[in-house]
Order: sequence, then structure tokens, then C-alpha cells
Amino acid sequence: MHEIRIGEDLREKNEAIADENRKLLAAKKIVSINVMSAPGAGKTSLLFRTIPMIRKKHAVGVIEGDIQTATDAEKIATLGVPVYQIETGGVCHLDAAMVHSALHQLDLDSIDLLFIENVGNLVCPAEFDLGEDARVMLLSVSEGDDKPKKYPLMFRESRLLLLNKMDLAPYVSFDVEKARRETLEINPKLDIIEISCVTGAGLDRWVSWIDAFIETARRR
Amino acid sequence: MKNLLDIVDRAARDEGGGPVRVVHLRIGEMAGVSEDALRFAFDVMAKGTAAEGASLEVEKVPLRIRCAGCGSNSNPADFVFICPECGSRDVEILAGREMEVDYILVGDGSAESENRGG
Repeated sequence: MHEIRIGEDLREKNEAIADENRKLLAAKKIVSINVMSAPGAGKTSLLFRTIPMIRKKHAVGVIEGDIQTATDAEKIATLGVPVYQIETGGVCHLDAAMVHSALHQLDLDSIDLLFIENVGNLVCPAEFDLGEDARVMLLSVSEGDDKPKKYPLMFRESRLLLLNKMDLAPYVSFDVEKARRETLEINPKLDIIEISCVTGAGLDRWVSWIDAFIETARRR
Repeated sequence: MKNLLDIVDRAARDEGGGPVRVVHLRIGEMAGVSEDALRFAFDVMAKGTAAEGASLEVEKVPLRIRCAGCGSNSNPADFVFICPECGSRDVEILAGREMEVDYILVGDGSAESENRGG
């Protein structure tokens, strides 16, 4: 019996395709945001509320990722923006190859801001670079304030944390200060905005964040 | 998982030397991988590939960070990315994100007999 050294990272293949996506998006001058969270944290509701607020300023396109069903894409399509649904068929995250195929299904000349809504999952999506410019994650207060330390990777990898369903905070004993403190221990550079997609609270700050991020991304 | 099996298949084919006995992975403390899920998927999906029947070894790699401020290295507890020496929050991850196939063992006989033979 003998040893064969390999030393290959399992993410290398994905990284190579993610780099292609990055080049394609840069060539088309599209800024892309990968939206990640656990299932039911409000990713689709966030996009549904946000797109009408920004569409005069930005030409938005959306890639929806789900294990099954196209209901999210159908909901976004009612807003009249280009949307493509990826059904992963059992896979619990999007990978760069799935997004690469989706990019060829969208008219990239007609959009300048692309939201990629990942599969609802607090773990695996954080390991898969899609070629995006920024990762934004949602944590809804009903999930509990212990989630940052239980699932640190996504908090570490994100640029912005949206604390969603803040209208429910009084009912679910979510300690906002604890969540902020522990999240910033994991990722001191993380921006945090408290929002509610039901009442609309905080969405103006999220929209300002998008505007500022696009400015920064375009200067690069 | 498919990527893992492809890597093992390719290595076993290119290098030859008989059946794959051991697949040795290095998985970081902060990698987004569950060892249980990994083992389950490996057992199910290895069938019909070069890795069928091989045992999966998972080496855990602890999280290790370097402070950009004072340059000291440390192993953070509880995912606190703050330098214990100087309190700086400007730290980079040195280890603990691994998700790699380190090596495979191929050929006849067991690992024990190989070790005894020196």
C-alpha cells in the first residue's frame, strides 16, 4: 500500500468558475449581491420590498435559488424585473456553476444590479463563492440570538447583516445587544442594520447601504 | 462530495497502484462541513467509484489566527476574532478553513502491515 499526496482543496473547482462569473459580471458592469440566510428569514420578502424602492435608480435582475419550486421567482416576476429560477434539485446551496448557467439565461445588458438569492441554509452557502461582489445575510429575530456563535462562518464571510423581523423582537426575547456584540467578535468589519420587511422599518438605511456599496464597487 | 470523489478517482487512475484503501481529509474547525453528513454522503456516493470500500479519515484542523497589529498567533476560543495579546480586531485566519483531500492510500494489504514493514 502506498500514499498518493493530493493536497487539493475541495473548493478549488468552484473558485475557478466563480472567477469566470466575476469577470463576466465586471465586463457587463453589473454589481452583484449574494443574499444568504436560514430558510424563512425573509430573503424573498426583502427583495420584494426593496426592488420597488430602488428600481428607478438601478436596473435590477434577480437569480433565485431554491431546492424545489419556482414560487419565489414567480413572486419577484410580478414586479416586472428579469428573474431566473435555479432549482438545485436537492442541493442545499448555490454553487458557481449553477450561477454561471443562470447568467447565460438573463439579458445581462439590461441590468446593472444583480441579487442572487441563495438557498435557505445557514451553513453551506457560506462556503461557495459565486463570483459576487458582496455577501449580505439576514438573521430574523425569531431564529434566536445564539445563532452567530453557532454558525459563525456566514457571519464572518458577510459584509452586511440585516437583523430582520425586528417588529417581532419584543415577543421572542431576542437580545439585540448580545447578537451585535457576538457578531462583531466574529466579524468586526460587519455592518449591521435592523429592519422589518412587514413594517418597512430600516429599509431606507438598507437602500442607502446598497447605494453606497454600488458607488464603492464601481470605483474599483 | 462529487468533487471529492472525482479528485480521488483521478488520483487513483493517474497514479495506479490498486484499490483505494484510505481517503484522508483535512477539515478546518470553521469549515462549513458536518463530519456526520460527510461520512454519510461518502458511504452512499462512493459506490461504483475508485473510493468504494475505502475508509474515510477526517483530520480536524483547529482555528488559528494572526494579529495584523502585533503579529502574534493564537487559537481563538468561541470564534472570538480579537487578538488576546493586544486586543486588536484586525486579525486574519491562518488555519481552520481547510476542506481538502490531503492524501489517499492505495494498493493491497492494510495500513498496519505497511507500517510494520517500515
